[in-house]
Amino acid sequence: MDLIAHWLGNMPDFAVPFALAALGLIISERAGVLSLGAEGLMLVGALAGVGVQLAVHEPGIALLGSMLAAATVSILFAVMVVWLRVNQVIAGLALVFFCQGLTGLLGTVLGWTNQPVTGLDVLPLGPLAQLPLIGGLFRQNVVAYLTPVIFALVVWYLNRTVSGLRLRAVGENPQAADAAGIPVLRTRFLAILAGSALIGLAGGYIAVLSTKLWIAGMTGGRGWIAVGLVIFARWSPWRAFAGALLFGGIEALIPQLAAAGISLPQYFVLMTPYVVTLGVMVWVALARRGSDETPGALGEPYLREERR
Amino acid sequence: MPPTAESAAPPPRRRFVPLLERRYTLELRQQLSWPKQAAILALAVALGLFICGAILVAAGVSPEDLLNEFVVQTFTDPQNLRAVLFQAAPMVMVGLAAAMAFRARFWNLGLEGQMVWGAIGATFVSIHEVGPPALRLWLMAAAALLCGLAWVVLPALFKMRLGINEIISSLMLNYVAANLLLHLLYGSWKDPKDAFPYSPKFQAFERLPDIAGGFSSAIVLAAVVAVAAWWFVDKSRAGLYLRFVHASTRVADAVGVPVRRLVLGSVLLSGALAGLAGFMVAAGQEGRLTQAFYNGYGFSGILIAFLARNNPLAASVVAVLVATLFVAGRSLQVFYQIPFSMVQLIQAILVVCVASSDFFIRHRIRAVGQKGA
Repeated sequence: MDLIAHWLGNMPDFAVPFALAALGLIISERAGVLSLGAEGLMLVGALAGVGVQLAVHEPGIALLGSMLAAATVSILFAVMVVWLRVNQVIAGLALVFFCQGLTGLLGTVLGWTNQPVTGLDVLPLGPLAQLPLIGGLFRQNVVAYLTPVIFALVVWYLNRTVSGLRLRAVGENPQAADAAGIPVLRTRFLAILAGSALIGLAGGYIAVLSTKLWIAGMTGGRGWIAVGLVIFARWSPWRAFAGALLFGGIEALIPQLAAAGISLPQYFVLMTPYVVTLGVMVWVALARRGSDETPGALGEPYLREERR
Repeated sequence: MPPTAESAAPPPRRRFVPLLERRYTLELRQQLSWPKQAAILALAVALGLFICGAILVAAGVSPEDLLNEFVVQTFTDPQNLRAVLFQAAPMVMVGLAAAMAFRARFWNLGLEGQMVWGAIGATFVSIHEVGPPALRLWLMAAAALLCGLAWVVLPALFKMRLGINEIISSLMLNYVAANLLLHLLYGSWKDPKDAFPYSPKFQAFERLPDIAGGFSSAIVLAAVVAVAAWWFVDKSRAGLYLRFVHASTRVADAVGVPVRRLVLGSVLLSGALAGLAGFMVAAGQEGRLTQAFYNGYGFSGILIAFLARNNPLAASVVAVLVATLFVAGRSLQVFYQIPFSMVQLIQAILVVCVASSDFFIRHRIRAVGQKGA
């Protein structure tokens, strides 16, 4: 019983970064840009968050710093794929390695590595937090509570606003969108920046609120898992939210099992998130039914001069 | 009185329009002569190197030392040259591995996992003393080749049978392989001598021997494989078909090229080459199975294939340059406390510059009058 209560209480800390990163990816991929750089942008968000937090000791500002830093770095990627029409896979990979190198270098040179920071206080949600078993779910920090709200806002934006409709049009059929007078390149550029800010927030959450320190390469492939998660969710935010809970649940289970004295081969346990990612991708591929929900122009640069 | 033709100002055609106030259009170039292409590429590389140099200077390396470390030391000191070529051997292999997969339009990002498996296979042969000592090294290489190949089978089949994105699946398998490696090194393969998490040292005959002049035989092996790969890509029928598949998979399929077999073949070859790279690091540089020997090879392989445009011979040259970077990066780490991530950053900056330069090769930007005109 205690095990389950603890597990549920810890789950949001693991699920929120997946959820926010996946949401950021969905925004840019719905606009037709394949953002493989999530892993790198999360690292940038994590390092920037810790750096700001060490300076100002104000988690809210630190997380804003995470978002700002990731969005700034993503300008490099946006210029490459939107204006210079670089292959999005190459540009995404280059972004990941650029960020890994940059954060590794800055983290050491600036001396931010292994410096503990203070995170956000837990905010119990009144009587809900006293519930047996699931009470832990309601003893979280503000950002964890805000995550479903951010999701609702993005869903509302994508589905209920003109601007969101335009963004999706650009991702589905940029030629038609262009003909309808929608600025394709500008929309994509802004979608990348906005999505990257959310991915940076995910990284900031891990470093500032979860582990509360910076270590080079600390995201450990979570950005890549988020990319897989978006495919699993078929570009739907709420399905991505559910997927994030699944992955967060699995990650939260790992330390719980060890604490409960269940001895499993440690490194095989550490493999599980990656194996599960593969598993859900296979499952989605096998269960592929109904309409294909992949954004129509995902991964393709838009070239007005090369109209086909 | 209306102005006469003589008194009117000359038409403002020749007036200089500030660059930002001009209107630009983008034109596709049909073709650009190769000296111009080379010039654009060289400019991009120079820009990239300049940015990297500026970062290093900002991090506290003096410009003279920079030149000394990267250029003078590498090519004048035989000790350093040996180190560079030694480092280049596995680089050539991962570069070729990436090129083989990219030629089949398969993003094999699992090079590191395949290297890990290659090294695990080779170490297995060493630990269990499979076969007579005279054949041991060959058996280790064969095991590495097969294990690397086996580790790419899954993403290849996933892509071909189920349409699963190989970028994610091959990457996920890297993490699985890395954890398996740790499991072995912290478990049954731990060195019994000092209980450190690396395998027992390979015996002398299980290590890649040196040839004349202290150069490692790894570089010979890499050269042979590079020439074979060049023959395969440039001269063989399968290589020709592969170019067809690369240009247009659908058309190739329609005219009866065995697309699936070709793609599967070159992807498996890619895995096998990455496995061999793992063998080279284990049996060459380290002399044992270590924890993080594969770090950075995955991206370097992709970078090499990208810069060499998937050409095996060009890949070998680029691999030597990347190896220089690695060796210089290590001495920067020792003498200037600059973390090795700098090497990663330099590579990424070069890719960004070169990839972006392609835009100027393919497009022409032309000013066509003034804004609002």
